[in-house]
Amino acid sequence: MVVLAASILSKSGKVLVSRQFVEMTRIRIEGLLAAFPKLLGTGKQHTYFETENVRYVYQPIEALYLVLVTNKQSNILEDLETLRLLSKLVPEYSVSLDEEGIGKTAFELIFAFDEVICLGHKENVTVAQVKQYCEMESHEEKLHKLVLQSKINETKDVMKRKASEIEKSKIDKNRGDKGGFMSMGSGRIETSLSEISIPSSGSGFGSGSGFGGLINEVDSFPTKSKGRQPSSATAPPKGSGMQLGKSQKTNQFLESLKAEGELIVEDVKPKAGLAKAAIAPPTDPITLTAEEKLNVTLKRDGGMSNFDVQGTLSLQILNQEDGLIQVQIETGGNPGILFKTHPNMNKELFSNENILGLKDPNRPFPTGPAGDAAGVGLLKWRMQSADESMVPLSINCWPSVSGNETYVSIEYEASAMFDLQNVVISIPLPALREAPSIRQIDGEWRFDSRNSILEWSIVLIDNSNRSGSMEFVVPPADSSVFFPISVRFTATSTYSDLKVVNIIPLRGGAPPKFSQRTNLVTENYQVM
Amino acid sequence: MEKSCTLLIHFDKGTPAIANEIKEALEGNDIPAKIDAMKKAVMLLLNGETLPQLFITIVRYVLPSEDHTVQKLLLLYLEIIEKTDLKGRILPEMILICQNLRNNLQHPNEYIRGVTLRFLCRLNETEIIEPLVPSVLQNLEHRHPFIRRNAILAVMSIYKLPQGEQLLVDAPEMIEKVLSTEQDPSAKRNAFLMLFNCAHDRAINYLLTHVDRVSEWGELLQMVVLELIRKVCRTNRGEKGKYIKIIISLLNAPSTAVIYECAGTLVSLSSAPTAIRAAANTYCQLLLSQSDNNVKLIVLDRLNELKSSHRDIMVDLIMDVLRALSSPNLDIQRKTLDIVLELVTPRNINEVVLLLKKEVMKSQSGELEKNGEYRQILIQAIHSCAIKFPEVASTVVHLMMDFLGDSNVASAIDVIVFVREIIETNPKLRVSIITRLLDTFYQIRAAWVCSCALWIIGEYCLSPSEVESGIATIKQCLGELPFYSVSEEAEATDASKKTPQSNSITISSRRPAILADDLFSSLAIFFLAAVVTCTLTKLVLRLEEVQPSKVEVNKATTQALLIFVSMLQLGQSPVLPHPIDNDSCDRIVLCIRLLCNTGDEIRKIWLQSCRQSFVKMLSEKQLQETEELKAKAQVSHAQPDDLIDFYHLKSRKGMSQLELEDEVQDDLKRATGEFVKDADDANKLNRILQLTGFSDPVYAEAYVTVHHYDIVLDITVINRTRETLQNLCLELATMGDLKLVERPQNYTLAPESSKQIKANIKVSSTETGVIFGNIVYETSNVLERTVVVLNDIHIDIMDYISPAVCTDTAFRTMWAEFEWENKVAVNTVIKNEKEFLDHIIKSTNMKCLTAPSALDGECGFLAANLYAKSVFGEDALVNVSIEKQADGKLSGYIRIRSKTQGIALSLGDKITLKQKGGS
Repeated sequence: MVVLAASILSKSGKVLVSRQFVEMTRIRIEGLLAAFPKLLGTGKQHTYFETENVRYVYQPIEALYLVLVTNKQSNILEDLETLRLLSKLVPEYSVSLDEEGIGKTAFELIFAFDEVICLGHKENVTVAQVKQYCEMESHEEKLHKLVLQSKINETKDVMKRKASEIEKSKIDKNRGDKGGFMSMGSGRIETSLSEISIPSSGSGFGSGSGFGGLINEVDSFPTKSKGRQPSSATAPPKGSGMQLGKSQKTNQFLESLKAEGELIVEDVKPKAGLAKAAIAPPTDPITLTAEEKLNVTLKRDGGMSNFDVQGTLSLQILNQEDGLIQVQIETGGNPGILFKTHPNMNKELFSNENILGLKDPNRPFPTGPAGDAAGVGLLKWRMQSADESMVPLSINCWPSVSGNETYVSIEYEASAMFDLQNVVISIPLPALREAPSIRQIDGEWRFDSRNSILEWSIVLIDNSNRSGSMEFVVPPADSSVFFPISVRFTATSTYSDLKVVNIIPLRGGAPPKFSQRTNLVTENYQVM
Repeated sequence: MEKSCTLLIHFDKGTPAIANEIKEALEGNDIPAKIDAMKKAVMLLLNGETLPQLFITIVRYVLPSEDHTVQKLLLLYLEIIEKTDLKGRILPEMILICQNLRNNLQHPNEYIRGVTLRFLCRLNETEIIEPLVPSVLQNLEHRHPFIRRNAILAVMSIYKLPQGEQLLVDAPEMIEKVLSTEQDPSAKRNAFLMLFNCAHDRAINYLLTHVDRVSEWGELLQMVVLELIRKVCRTNRGEKGKYIKIIISLLNAPSTAVIYECAGTLVSLSSAPTAIRAAANTYCQLLLSQSDNNVKLIVLDRLNELKSSHRDIMVDLIMDVLRALSSPNLDIQRKTLDIVLELVTPRNINEVVLLLKKEVMKSQSGELEKNGEYRQILIQAIHSCAIKFPEVASTVVHLMMDFLGDSNVASAIDVIVFVREIIETNPKLRVSIITRLLDTFYQIRAAWVCSCALWIIGEYCLSPSEVESGIATIKQCLGELPFYSVSEEAEATDASKKTPQSNSITISSRRPAILADDLFSSLAIFFLAAVVTCTLTKLVLRLEEVQPSKVEVNKATTQALLIFVSMLQLGQSPVLPHPIDNDSCDRIVLCIRLLCNTGDEIRKIWLQSCRQSFVKMLSEKQLQETEELKAKAQVSHAQPDDLIDFYHLKSRKGMSQLELEDEVQDDLKRATGEFVKDADDANKLNRILQLTGFSDPVYAEAYVTVHHYDIVLDITVINRTRETLQNLCLELATMGDLKLVERPQNYTLAPESSKQIKANIKVSSTETGVIFGNIVYETSNVLERTVVVLNDIHIDIMDYISPAVCTDTAFRTMWAEFEWENKVAVNTVIKNEKEFLDHIIKSTNMKCLTAPSALDGECGFLAANLYAKSVFGEDALVNVSIEKQADGKLSGYIRIRSKTQGIALSLGDKITLKQKGGS
């Protein structure tokens, strides 16, 4: 099942273009193609013939022959399909179907052929797709360039400002030297620009004088690249002596990282951080936070492949004098949950009486400043399950192609266990210029054109809306594009149902005032 | 290992691009100019230039370019440049491109990444690939399927390299993981392909764990699954049972390509009747459902293979195969009939003939141009059915006789030959055939058909009434007597051409036929006249035997004589463009004499011997056919060391052993030319040619290998001097249809050292070619170049032609058509005609078309036709006509005809050279 070569010959038998897909010597392919016009009979109503070793399948196109050379066991039905596709592609790239026209567009044709046949195997592509692949219009690249440009602009701005500052100070000192400084300033702008716009490619060999040195350079790539973002261009240009503005630019910077770094889709993290930041800093002297992080992977056609809950109970004490306490808790008695105490905790006390206290009763709990939201971890727990009924929110996504459009209907169904807040369902879309048209929605939507993600947000899911749906239309696309769907939400109750019943001061006296927070957040909740 | 060639582009030498211009454009900032320059650089490289100075320019100015087209062209450039030195070590400067490739692999543009990954698939240099491996692996998880697809293929190609397993130790595991989560059908296929090629245990494992879902997989993946199954079953025959189920489930796949592949797999896997039947059924379905002629023809090829290996099963499907006749394509119809005719059995013959008859009727109604030809092959098919199963002859012969007057001469000839054979072999049908023939005689148009029909009438009219009506029919067709009278000569001269037409129906009615049938040209009229004369003579002689009334006989005799005389008179009249030829004239005169003076001796010759020799000819033909059949049967016999399957001991699953070698792989290797049969070593040494003298400063000898379309010269050059030879260059030039592939290169040859040089020469047609050459070199102290002229290398035409078979008619058509004739007078020491013919056949590597029986006997002369075909599909025709002279020497001519001058000339030279014999 292998296409050896796809070629275009003139009627007189001249080989205009030929692309080979398996390894063969030049003399072999030239020989095969030279034999073609000789073997080509006239007046036949079929367009293939075989020799001892190969089969030719061809199609006349005006003054040309489009020929596939295959081995004899190749699947004729598939090859004819390939030939048909190629014959549609040739006029797309070559306006005049004659020797001259093909000669002019030979390279474009080779590029197009490469998209249709890969290592001799047919690819499942359409004419439109091949054209798209050959145009190489990449949304991501544009974005990347934009980011780069904005950085350059910013650098320029900073530079100008600095230059004018220096200038001003110089003017103040000496009005005569103005011109010289101007030129120096602009010179510096240029050098830094060139350093930015030619991402590290120059540095790879520019300095390398010997062979050995080059090898070292290259050998070190893998280690370097591991920790870094894929594109080295995003690293701040060294030696420019200027800092990038941190304030509002960091956002953009992050965005650009996200745009390039599809490999490490980590959208979850920055957002989780934001969610945490939204919680008001504690004002009570003692705060206990029970948080559960949810890692769930659901399969697109039902079922789940991963369900994992990790919980922590952390304690935060504002004042040192409140440090000598013990915490009495109560758990929901969920047998699937295993608790683990901090190594410094008195295990027996916990297992017998559900009281959390330090092994050394004379040591106080460490205290933290008000700003530090983390606190001290007292207890950890973990729950894994294969029980689908534990899933708080299930998503059902149905893309279906109809005519020139793909209809996608999505519905969610939330279990009665929790009331979910700030639910955001992010659906990746094929690269689009405009927002998709939303036919119907329960909730609100937002289209992130940079990452081409459609975000469907529902502020609260409670008993009134345990299920909901959305439907939108995009241009035709493969159904796999819409996955993985990632979901984030928060809830105020947890799986463990852990509650702090009491705070027992060890020095006696009235139990201090405490506040308790319970939080369920999604860490990684995806439908693959 | 020779370098592989990945692309060819026609290069117009009229517009030479200069390296400097290219360099300038590459250094500039104008993107379109850069693109143009890159294209030119690639074209120059393809044309054999090496352009080493361009590399650094490209590294400096093209590598950093952001333009996508430039980057793509750069990849093409990198694809074709020489990346290693002569010893196969990587060139140090190649490391410069690594950085760029790595950047491309991390490019924000997904297509740049994709094409770069694809480029890596074509790269063989581990040193370049090694630093790129981590980047390739990163791309395996990229969001974009386009990148993943190509990344998987790149991993596969890298892993397949000689040191690939060290570069990518855990590639199979990685790809297996990818396969389990991948959703893109193409990427999934590639991943499976990778496992299939690199770790097929894992591929099998994956297949078996997902066995229930195979039918839901994409078409591309299913195809690879089938390939995998074939491969596994070849290496591990015991496993077959597991896979048959998968194949059966795929037989219902929506894609016809998959179905076709399934059937093929099924056949290669099992010879169980059910499996074969399922495969054959599938093929038959495809045959009907696919409208593309190519598909139909190839499916018929598959059915034909099944027919030879599993005839018993195919017999049941004969009617399904026959349905392919509905296609209007003649090639398909012919192939179908070829298959069907070998499947005919007594059980299905009636059904088959019925359908063929229907088709013949149908061919009559349509106005299609090809219908005549189609009818001809149908008639031939019915003919061979009737020979095999004489009982059906009666049902078809009358229908066939309707076509005696067919405007397609060839089919009319077939019909009459058929009738002639049937009337002899089926005595029961004689009466009805004769009656019918006499009824339809007037419809006959073609001279050849007519003479054959006349012969039948003459031989097989036995009863008095038949003889009489025979005579009457002929007389009626000849028209009124006399054919020509002197009085008419006086008429206007311009009417002279019309005269014979108005006089004779027979002759006028035969006119168009004669024009159509160029084999006989104008002589045919009188040849036919001679045939008419003989027939009438025969009939009159028979009448004498069967008719008791003397009066009637005498009357018939005189009438016949009158006709003969009129014919002679017409033949000698000046109104005809050609007068009667001597042969016909002699025969007519002979018949006149005979009728005037009959005798027993002569009667015996005329009434019995003719028939006897015909019977002999028929039995000869039959004998030949049975012998051919026997020879065929001989071939299919088992080899002494073959495995024997005992039916009763076979496993219950019904799957027999499968005797497949790794044919798929071989097929591909043959196709790419990698597969070369080991030639006989002794033969190899015979082909060494000495190119220079032993005392020349440079000694050279060549070993010539001739493949189909190319010639490879392995030349050993030895420096015999004590000096270093610089810029030593082997310059070759060719004559004939030969072309050098590469440009010559310069070498430096140390004192008394030797060098192997390889030269490829492309052959594009069959003819004797000559390769000339020089060796040019400089020595260190003398600056002028020294030239050593080499012996010519002659390329033998015999390497290009092989014996072939064609039908008599085809031979004659080609003989008439071909323009080039080379006539070689016989000049030999061989005394025996047969021996001489054998000598010619042996030395020209041709096939003798004339039957051996026709060459038997010692009559002093011999004529035979030889035929061969070249690898380029050209025909070579040879006719040998020799006569033994009184002095015992042979004389005569050998004529060679071909479409091209080359063959005629080269073959003629060859024969002139070899015909002397005696050596």
